[in-house]
Amino acid sequence: MSQLITLDGIRSIMDSLLKEGAIVAAPVNEGENKLFFEKIDTSQKAVLSGTVKTVNSIKEFFFPRHEVLCTFKRNGNDIELTDSQPFDREQIIFGARPCDAAALPVLDPLFAWDYQDRFYQSRREKTTVVVFACQNSDQHCFCGALGLAPDDPSGADAMLFDLGNGFFEVRTFTEKGERLFKEKTSSSDQTGKACPVPGKKLRTKELSVWLKKNFTASIWDDMSKRCVGCGACTYLCPTCHCFDIVDEGSFQKGVRVKNWDSCQMANFTLHASGHNPRAVQGQRQRQRIEHKFSIYPEKFGVLLCTGCGNCTRNCPSSLGVRPFLDAIEKQLDQ
Amino acid sequence: MEKQLRETAKRLLSDRTVDVVIGYGRLETGAIGPVFITDPDQTDQLVWNTECHQNLIVYLTRKETRPAGKAAVVVKGCDARAAVVLVNESQLNREQFLLIGMVCSGMADQKKAGNPSDLPLYAKCETCTAHAPTTVDILIGDPASAPAPLSKEDRMQKGNYAKLAKIKALSPEDRLDFWKKEFSRCIKCYACRQSCPICYCNRCVADKNRPIRIDTSSTLKGNFAWNILRAFHLAGRCVGCGACSAACPVGIDLDLLNLSLAIPAEEHFNFVSGSDWGTAPLIGTFSEEDREDFIR
Repeated sequence: MSQLITLDGIRSIMDSLLKEGAIVAAPVNEGENKLFFEKIDTSQKAVLSGTVKTVNSIKEFFFPRHEVLCTFKRNGNDIELTDSQPFDREQIIFGARPCDAAALPVLDPLFAWDYQDRFYQSRREKTTVVVFACQNSDQHCFCGALGLAPDDPSGADAMLFDLGNGFFEVRTFTEKGERLFKEKTSSSDQTGKACPVPGKKLRTKELSVWLKKNFTASIWDDMSKRCVGCGACTYLCPTCHCFDIVDEGSFQKGVRVKNWDSCQMANFTLHASGHNPRAVQGQRQRQRIEHKFSIYPEKFGVLLCTGCGNCTRNCPSSLGVRPFLDAIEKQLDQ
Repeated sequence: MEKQLRETAKRLLSDRTVDVVIGYGRLETGAIGPVFITDPDQTDQLVWNTECHQNLIVYLTRKETRPAGKAAVVVKGCDARAAVVLVNESQLNREQFLLIGMVCSGMADQKKAGNPSDLPLYAKCETCTAHAPTTVDILIGDPASAPAPLSKEDRMQKGNYAKLAKIKALSPEDRLDFWKKEFSRCIKCYACRQSCPICYCNRCVADKNRPIRIDTSSTLKGNFAWNILRAFHLAGRCVGCGACSAACPVGIDLDLLNLSLAIPAEEHFNFVSGSDWGTAPLIGTFSEEDREDFIR
């Protein structure tokens, strides 16, 4: 027995959440062929079927590109400090992809490791993630290569399967998910399924060993030639999480903020002395691949990549993670 | 043209005229992008079609790809202009590189949905005045087959000029709202800067932190500061290749900002950036006959 809901049913849940003052986010069309996860003010803006991937990931609803940590103000010789409060609003994300949501359990241990990041954690606690199982994939999708799938429930509170006839099958995995759809569904014997799994399984364990032994492999510089050194891959990646803490404002008042930062930018590792330990792009690309497939799994036991393909999809010169993985996989056979 | 391009590249590499050919090829991801060819037997990798939208001149100044020897770069008319600006601004020696110019009828807008090879043209291609490059060492294709450049008046009605005119026709409040909406999506990935051959500063003002000149935050304030500042720094310099817009992952029409400064440069000073070798940069020159008297 399955549970079904109509598209209108989903929209009415969204609208009543908005009425209650919750933050609701969903894929929104911003002009031709530009789909973004955004906060919405009416369910009518949400694009909930027929799409593959938004430009951004849902990462920014947990780890925003800009977050104020505290504000400071000078009063004569005193300085008044005000800490920002943890996130305290209900937030519901509709239409996430399994590859977006799967990044959340990957990031959780990082933000609760040597430092408990209350900004991230409070957003996680207050947010419900409704994943839509993929009905389509494109040439950049490769979740299957990493052991995930277009209906993988990791990180999802609920998952909806588009039946193509105006109905969606609802599967809930957590209390938050159950609460959201409680008494909103009808019983049926129809069940949904996702599109075929994209990407051939990669040997990620062997790949990780290869990375340790091939710090000076020629692929790093050779393949990185075409990289222009921007941060699009890292910022649109659901798992990349580097940030920089900077002070902004004037001598009299200002803010301390946490902003996204990218290992692909030349000044990421630039020392005050002028020395840069990662002086060329090949070293920066190597760092990114090593972090995702060797360093992070060693520390936290999970890959820092969900195979969403956003890095390649949004790269000005069509690079990203996948070409490196395929090149390394080839070398494993040699 | 593709055959001729491959043969030319092969000849240049075989007779050691150049050490590397930077051109377009079919990448492993399926997209068309840059390939760096040093072996004369590999020139069959080169392709020429409507997906060759990237401006490869950017690789002439990047530390990683700045050629040890001499390079030949496959360019469209707009890209060639960028090379001219780099020489005119003393960033490259003319002897350092060769330009293989391709007669171009416009590139398919890769930001649009559909089959990559038959998408409509980029808006900037509709008003292009450099379909047949004139500042190149080797020209491939028949210049007579290229669309004739439009007059200034005709350009105003078309493509990117028309898009800009539409924005300019808005009231100041609506115009501000338009750019607010566009810039609110900016994530400060700097793909615009990194893809732009003219953005060659070793240390960009956006990366300076002692003191911080512009907010690094990607707030509306920080995003306005960055995008407007970049447009100012490209005034009279931008060649209109559209690499910034093509690279922008969030789809901001950054080339329109630059166009809004290129139009007055042409109108008031008859200056088209990168159109000829040896021209002094517009911002770096003055005339004693200037009708404004503050300069005297």
